[in-house]
Amino acid sequence: MKKIFIYGYLVINLIFSSCTDVVDVDVPYGGPRLVIEASLDWEKGTTGNEQTIKLSKMTPYFDDYSIDIVQGASVKVINDNNNSVVQFMDQNNGSYTTSDFVPVVGQSYTLEVAYNDETYIAKETLTPVVDIAKVDQSTENGFDKNVIEVNIYFFDPVDEENYYLTKFQERKDLLPTLYDISDEFINGNEMLVFFEKFNNEDTGEQELLPGDIVDIELYGISKTYYNYIRLLIEQNGDVGNPFSSVPAPLRGNCTNPDNPDNFAWGYFRLTQVDRTTYIVE
Amino acid sequence: MKKLFFLIPVFFSFFLSAQDRYTVNGIIKDAENGETVFGASVYFKNTTIGLLTNEYGFYSLTVPKGNYTLIISYMGYDEIVKEILIDKDQKFDFELIESATELNEVIVVAEESERVNIKTPQMSVAKLNIGTIKKMPVVFGEIDILKSIQLLPGVTNNGEGSSGFNVRGGAVDQNLVLLDEAIIYNSSHLFGFFSVFNADAIKDVKLYKGSIPPRFGGRVSSVLDVRQKDGNSKRYALTGGIGTISSRLAIEGPLFKEKGSFLVAGRGSYMHLFLKLSEELKDNAVYFYDLNLKSNYELDENNRLYLSGYFGRDVLKFGTSFSNSYGNSSGNLRWNHIFNDKIFSNLSLIYSKYDYQLEINVVQLDWISDIINYNLKYDLKYYINDKFNLDFGLSGIYYNFHPGVIKPTSETSPINFFELDEKRAFEGGVYINAEHKITNRFNLQYGLRLSVFSRLGGEPLTIYENDQPVVYNEILGIYESGTIIGQENYDLGESMKTFNNFEPRLSLSYQFSENSSIKASYAKIAQYIHLLSNTTNVTPLDVWTPSGVYVEPQQSDQFAIGYFKDFKKSPLNLSIEAYYKTIDNRIDYIDGANLIGNNNIETVILNGESRAYGLEFLLQKNTGKFTGMLAYTLSRSEQRTLGGNAGGPGINNGDWYNSAYDRTHDFSITGAYNFTEKWTFSTNLVFQTGRPVTYPNGQYEYEGMTIASYDERNANRLPAYHRLDLSAIFTPNRKPNNRWKGEFVFGIYNVYNRKNAASITFGQNRETGENEATRTAIFGIVPSVTYNFKF
Repeated sequence: MKKIFIYGYLVINLIFSSCTDVVDVDVPYGGPRLVIEASLDWEKGTTGNEQTIKLSKMTPYFDDYSIDIVQGASVKVINDNNNSVVQFMDQNNGSYTTSDFVPVVGQSYTLEVAYNDETYIAKETLTPVVDIAKVDQSTENGFDKNVIEVNIYFFDPVDEENYYLTKFQERKDLLPTLYDISDEFINGNEMLVFFEKFNNEDTGEQELLPGDIVDIELYGISKTYYNYIRLLIEQNGDVGNPFSSVPAPLRGNCTNPDNPDNFAWGYFRLTQVDRTTYIVE
Repeated sequence: MKKLFFLIPVFFSFFLSAQDRYTVNGIIKDAENGETVFGASVYFKNTTIGLLTNEYGFYSLTVPKGNYTLIISYMGYDEIVKEILIDKDQKFDFELIESATELNEVIVVAEESERVNIKTPQMSVAKLNIGTIKKMPVVFGEIDILKSIQLLPGVTNNGEGSSGFNVRGGAVDQNLVLLDEAIIYNSSHLFGFFSVFNADAIKDVKLYKGSIPPRFGGRVSSVLDVRQKDGNSKRYALTGGIGTISSRLAIEGPLFKEKGSFLVAGRGSYMHLFLKLSEELKDNAVYFYDLNLKSNYELDENNRLYLSGYFGRDVLKFGTSFSNSYGNSSGNLRWNHIFNDKIFSNLSLIYSKYDYQLEINVVQLDWISDIINYNLKYDLKYYINDKFNLDFGLSGIYYNFHPGVIKPTSETSPINFFELDEKRAFEGGVYINAEHKITNRFNLQYGLRLSVFSRLGGEPLTIYENDQPVVYNEILGIYESGTIIGQENYDLGESMKTFNNFEPRLSLSYQFSENSSIKASYAKIAQYIHLLSNTTNVTPLDVWTPSGVYVEPQQSDQFAIGYFKDFKKSPLNLSIEAYYKTIDNRIDYIDGANLIGNNNIETVILNGESRAYGLEFLLQKNTGKFTGMLAYTLSRSEQRTLGGNAGGPGINNGDWYNSAYDRTHDFSITGAYNFTEKWTFSTNLVFQTGRPVTYPNGQYEYEGMTIASYDERNANRLPAYHRLDLSAIFTPNRKPNNRWKGEFVFGIYNVYNRKNAASITFGQNRETGENEATRTAIFGIVPSVTYNFKF
């Protein structure tokens, strides 16, 4: 919804000789807070046993490297039902991996990270997802009728409260495109999500062309994660938008029960994901 | 309550001694076009008896029998002097003639009339003459009342491209904006680029920043009272202008053989036509238009009827993908009635509507939302004698809110039909106010407004567990929606919740020399409807919400004290005011609050308090070849939002934080110089501390992207805002006999092309992967040419 306003605003911008410039600004530094990217995604059609958790620390905003890797932490995931523990092994590069994870739909799990004499705990439940029903391309679905967009379709179950994360990445691009979806207005209907790119001389963005390869993912997510990722997407995509909400800290679910102020950024998510790849014609 | 009892004996004592006093009353008009003159000084020479005419040009003075010299004076007009013998009640109407000598000579405004401004206890008010506003240089040459009031001390806005204005550190929804008494909900076109007021249709603008009289209620920070022209009752006239962005045309003339008049004014923008030249943009449109109507009829010398209307619209279209339109419309029928020479009354019946529509074809969605109100007001003023006036009246407003209907535009649309609950409310007020001259030096104004607000049924009330619509989650350290446990149904007309408030208003002035005085005031005001906005700038998606079970009314207390001086030797006047304002129940939003399409906004808000205080300094020169003003405000506006019923520390850990409109320094100079008969030059120079913003305090990686971490709300500031504008008005021929009068206005806005930041946002460059701060500036240097004409 907010994206619409960016486009409308851009139109006004063009008329009123307003402009955007990259500027130098001094910003404060909040310290090397721990970041836990624990995304345990179970790809449909696989066992989901192999999973990776990434640990890092927050760095000053304009520093060249955004990752300050964390080594020597202890990372484990516990199945709350049978208390089985899966230990993630330190690969000494910030990643902690395992091939023993057992995903169960609807099961709740607990993450425990021990680092620097602090313990971080997170709890989540594995959310299932429907299949991507169809993938195709068109030009008339998007905002610009002259460029190609890739469309995915899926059917939202009517009896549940569902939340989704879609991820599109064109292989040549540096960054993915994420969309957060709630079934509040679309419950029970066939949903269409399209991924469109525009030609923009200033940013170097190029439209989708035949031969381009797009990796697509549809995740089933929990309501708490939906609130988290919605805010993250809004805050990180709203460049130059004066209608953006007041920025807020992205509190995830990684808490530090003994020292609450020293919580971790990031999120412990458990999802089922449907992956596919599409080649633009 | 006690105040009312005190008034009764005072009232009678004056009544008893009224027997050898007589009343002179009448209406003051402009000789050229028959417009009533608001704020003309009417006084008896060598006495301390005098007043200013009201919005309808009416005055009434009661004096002991005798010979008097009556003087009528008003800025820019020749003074009228009349010797009269007062031995019975009399009616004298006057017509003021515009001064021909305005350019070359310093007009000496008679001392007594200046003193009326020094004497009156009314403070914190600015009355802007439309002629003065028309001389100020503006962006694109578009005369804009809202931009002009921002040059006054204590008035700012949230940056170019943001709607509305802020008074004394108050929010945009805390200003009562009235157009001929009808409430205007969104005072800007195109996200704040222009105001909804067409200067050709406007006669007077009065802004109350504090010391708000009891006849106004419902908004805690200010009242912007805008009055339309009545229309030329002497002859037909055409006024208009052709500008870079928009053009205007106004037609006015007499009706009913000069017993009435009408005015029809229209304005429309056409810059979207330039978009058609671009291949890429030709399917887009951005435009606005408005229409102002007014007519009046004088039934007899004691009765006059007015009919006013306003209709405005903004349209934004992006190809066939989306279109957005919104606007205000209002209609107002008024009846002035003069009872027995001393009582002036006005009855108004008003209808006002603000609506917006958003159509997004890519998801086949149509969203419509509106707010409608019906208002009845009855205001009376009893001019008892030269020492005591009483005004009183009542007002009732019925509100109907439709926060949003979301409709699918076709059968294959993924959107389901959804309607946010329709809300209804009634707001009533009754007031009484006395203007009391205690001694020649000491004047007092005291009054009381009693307001009541009832949130009416016809919608279900959501019930939450533990009566907590929003709840603090201790584990995650965030605020979340409370758990819904049921619903209670209320019928139409049944009250869900009622509030009432006593709002005392007091101001006093003490004149300690001929030309200087000190004033102080206190006002308590309640506000029952609120504009919900979680964005840094007000957008058309922001929704007005009435108070109710989960939303408390805002309540403000404002204290102000000031020093006022008119310099005798030079035509300068000075005012210095200090204010302190606290507002209880100021809503703020939890982190990440999503207001769009939210039927239960009580789940994302917390109740806080705000306070603002400052020092305002204003120096004005109103007459002579060079006129202008210098304004400086030093102020602070902050907010604290504790967890309250929801638990937890609140926003920003329960500490005070800058409100979004906090501007430490606000300095402006505006001036106009009549160089020759044909040329007038004017300039604005503005300097303001940057607005508070929330900056990132670090970065980390997630999902392959660099994420910004944000910390304290509003703890940082944008760079300082400053700019210089220049304009030149060229009037080619000034032969007074020429029916057609035209002038060219050449303007340059932001002469040194400073890119003032409207916002600075942070993000990762999608091509290079580096973090960047992007500044959006709305206006660089903008030259413009406008041709204005009068026929």
